[in-house]
Amino acid sequence: QTVTLRLHQFLPPQAVIPAKAIIPWARKIEAESGGRIKIQDFHAMQMGGSPPQLFDQARDGVADITWTVLGYTPGRFNKSEVFELPFMCTGGPEKCSRAFHEYVEKNAADEFKSVKLLAAHTHGPGLFHTKQPVTGLESLRGMKIRGGSRIINNMLVKLGATPVGMPVPAVTEALSKGVIDGTTVPWEVAPSIKITELVKNHTSFAGKDGLFTQTFAFVMNRAAYDKLPADLKKVIDNNSGIELAASFGRAMDEGDKAGLALAQKARNNLVALDVAETQRWRRTASVVESDWVTEMKGKGIDGAKLASEARALVAKHNK
Amino acid sequence: MSNIQLALWSFPFLLLLIFVRVPIGLSMLLCGLGGSWVIYGNADPILNQLKQVTFTTFSNYNLSVIPLFLLMGQFAALGGLSRALFKAAEAWIGHRKGGVAMAAVGACAGFGAICGSSLATAATMGQVALPELKRAGYAGGISTACLAAGGTLGILIPPSVVLVIYAILTEQNIAKLFLAAFVPGILAAIGYMITIAIYARLKPQEMGTMAPMPMKDRIAATVATWPVIAIFLVVVGGIYTGIFTPTEGAAIGAFCTGIAAWASGGLNRKTLLDSVLGTAVATGMIFMIVLGAGLYNTFLALSQLPQEAAGAVAGWGLSPILVLIAILVLYVILGCFMDSLSMILLTIPVFFPIIMALDFGLPPEELAIWFGILVLIVVEVGLITPPVGMNLFVINSMAKDTPITHTYRAILPFVTSDFVRTAILVAFPSITLFVLRL
Amino acid sequence: MISFIYRLANWTAIVGGIVLVALTLMVVASVAGRAMIGLGLGPVPGDFELVEVGVGIAIFYFLPWCYLRGGHATVDLLYMHMPAWFKKGVDLFSDVAMLLVWLVLTWKLWEGMLEKKEYLETTFILQMPIWWAYAFCLVGAVIGCICYVAKTLTRLGLASEPKGWTVEANVSH
Ligand code: NA
Ligand code: NA
Repeated sequence: QTVTLRLHQFLPPQAVIPAKAIIPWARKIEAESGGRIKIQDFHAMQMGGSPPQLFDQARDGVADITWTVLGYTPGRFNKSEVFELPFMCTGGPEKCSRAFHEYVEKNAADEFKSVKLLAAHTHGPGLFHTKQPVTGLESLRGMKIRGGSRIINNMLVKLGATPVGMPVPAVTEALSKGVIDGTTVPWEVAPSIKITELVKNHTSFAGKDGLFTQTFAFVMNRAAYDKLPADLKKVIDNNSGIELAASFGRAMDEGDKAGLALAQKARNNLVALDVAETQRWRRTASVVESDWVTEMKGKGIDGAKLASEARALVAKHNK
Repeated sequence: MSNIQLALWSFPFLLLLIFVRVPIGLSMLLCGLGGSWVIYGNADPILNQLKQVTFTTFSNYNLSVIPLFLLMGQFAALGGLSRALFKAAEAWIGHRKGGVAMAAVGACAGFGAICGSSLATAATMGQVALPELKRAGYAGGISTACLAAGGTLGILIPPSVVLVIYAILTEQNIAKLFLAAFVPGILAAIGYMITIAIYARLKPQEMGTMAPMPMKDRIAATVATWPVIAIFLVVVGGIYTGIFTPTEGAAIGAFCTGIAAWASGGLNRKTLLDSVLGTAVATGMIFMIVLGAGLYNTFLALSQLPQEAAGAVAGWGLSPILVLIAILVLYVILGCFMDSLSMILLTIPVFFPIIMALDFGLPPEELAIWFGILVLIVVEVGLITPPVGMNLFVINSMAKDTPITHTYRAILPFVTSDFVRTAILVAFPSITLFVLRL
Repeated sequence: MISFIYRLANWTAIVGGIVLVALTLMVVASVAGRAMIGLGLGPVPGDFELVEVGVGIAIFYFLPWCYLRGGHATVDLLYMHMPAWFKKGVDLFSDVAMLLVWLVLTWKLWEGMLEKKEYLETTFILQMPIWWAYAFCLVGAVIGCICYVAKTLTRLGLASEPKGWTVEANVSH
């Protein structure tokens, strides 16, 4: 008999991750199961609810498979959050996604125990998109910047900017009319929110370093997985884990390249801060990390150990 | 029974519940929960969904514009802003045949420019204008009809709650939609005035006139509308130039109208409480529908009916313009029985992708905006089409001595004017879009 | 007792209104602060999330009053041609259905609150625990359930509505 699985996520089907990672994955599962698994795609929250609910929708069986941003539920994924710390992720999204997936399996598995984790991944290097060029640490002072997660907002305060909390769809309008002076997103998101048309300055950091990262998870309802016959379980198993995380990372990388190309085509000002300046940012942003470690201590989590664990894994996958 | 059959059967069942007067939001919620239960095969998933969905629906930033606009409408009535608009329009054209009715439509248009809700506009202007129309010797039917039609300008002229919902569903820019709605909104007001002029020719006995006013009084009446104009410029200008979001604009509008009402002496402890309670009733009504429609939508999505229907319509191979006309006609038919907000929430997710996939010779963003404006107009026709039209009921309940059948009869010319305008806007997309191209 | 419950709904709606008016003032202050960022002012921190949470609470507080006043949108096309016993049956059905639905919604909101508390989820900017917001909403939901019970009792003739109580069918202004 055939099994129908409902897949739910928050982006329209033409966006990078659905188009390059999720939909191909679903079709691959269907093919490898010999048509015995049928996956119904629900894009852009068609099944209802709001994006922060996606993780619980998979846990509760509202949907069978969901893709979600961990930062949408601040405070919930404390151990996973270590990958959102400033300058944690280096070496590009594919390597970083491998490192993150391995980290989650080793150190944060309890945060995902209510679901079957298919893949945990990150986006590419995070950077600034601003109206006025950001050429150094001082440039940010007084700028109104939209941040995408609680860690990013903490960091913006430390860097002297005014963080403005705002839903993603509002960014385009807010930027075009001066409600904010800039935003923090990776290149991959830039085309869909028309960043390259709205601001002319993009500031990245020395090497493949990103100032910030957001983390994502692709998860499945546990009961739905357990109910599958052994051979279909195997189809899912063969298509989940670190290699799937890496494929999400590769999709992010492709998206980043397309976004960057768009900015180059628009002849925008691409600022790449040099090693010395990046070092200054690292020092300032490191306060965010020490604050985070203190905060985690209050929750009974050894943040310093987790951070060094994470760095070791990033280094391992960058070898 | 397949899931698709289940979804199809839910329509007559839902309509039955609604028509026997179970509240619309509750009817949709019951059908949504029941249908999802059947599709999932057990109640747990949909019950689990409820752990968060009520809270997240009510605390949606984009929807928070609704209670703020409703509060603004309450304050505007308190401050005499709506009466000032009516007086100014009356000063200029009140002495002509049908002039007072035209003034009422003009005042509705002005009020519609600062208020986002049709029912709020109809109810507010009805309070002010019904006694004036009676005093000028107008028959009951034409009085209620011109105000019911004028009330739709609350949504046709931006800002507009329906456009906000449309923008959210289709990920369009709210400010651009508001801008595009302007010219069609003004055309609607002009169309209603022409309708009144023709009506005055055909049935002069149903209308009276007022004594002409000296120029000095006319100017004084016009000058008295300055707070409305100022608030309008702040709210609409601020939203469009992006100094603030629509939600912020609504809050600022409510604040300004509150100040104006306070300055005019209309806002005191008692009236403030009344405004708050009035806002509570209207807000509760809308969000109960939003919640019910959300859960009903979840059920329809689970059933795969919208996806299959979209495929089917695409498969008919109709020409794009015929598909568009079919959709608009369907809206008018549904609108005879359904509420505009729930209609939009239910159908836009189905029809929007269909329309966007067709070639009308327009870029995607313009197509989305043009379609949005057309939908806005046809769902608003639903507010004044007998037998079920929310505006008709609101106004009729305020004019106790006018039978609903008189209102039904007098509204037909206004409905006709809506159809003519829709046809013109379908034939010439640039009437809607030229402002965006400037 | 019944008149106390009706008054309770009235107070609850007024509290919701106070929240809404306070949000209005907060937004004005925030927009003004944002406009004068050059003068060292700034937006109210977390203004977006305050609006979201505040409006959510206000709506929960508005709903009981809306129902008691007959404020929910209805269509009486068939209703008005029906015999009295049928009308009574439909009204009773609506009241009972509303009561049952809100009992379920309130129960689930409670569970949702416990989950948010367990996971320590917070808002983005102010990092205020989400379960606080759920708890405030829960107050409105519970009062709602009490009101729906009261309404059902009056419909069954087991209690009578307060003197001079009027219901505005189909009207919203
Ligand atoms: Na309007
Ligand atoms: Na209608």
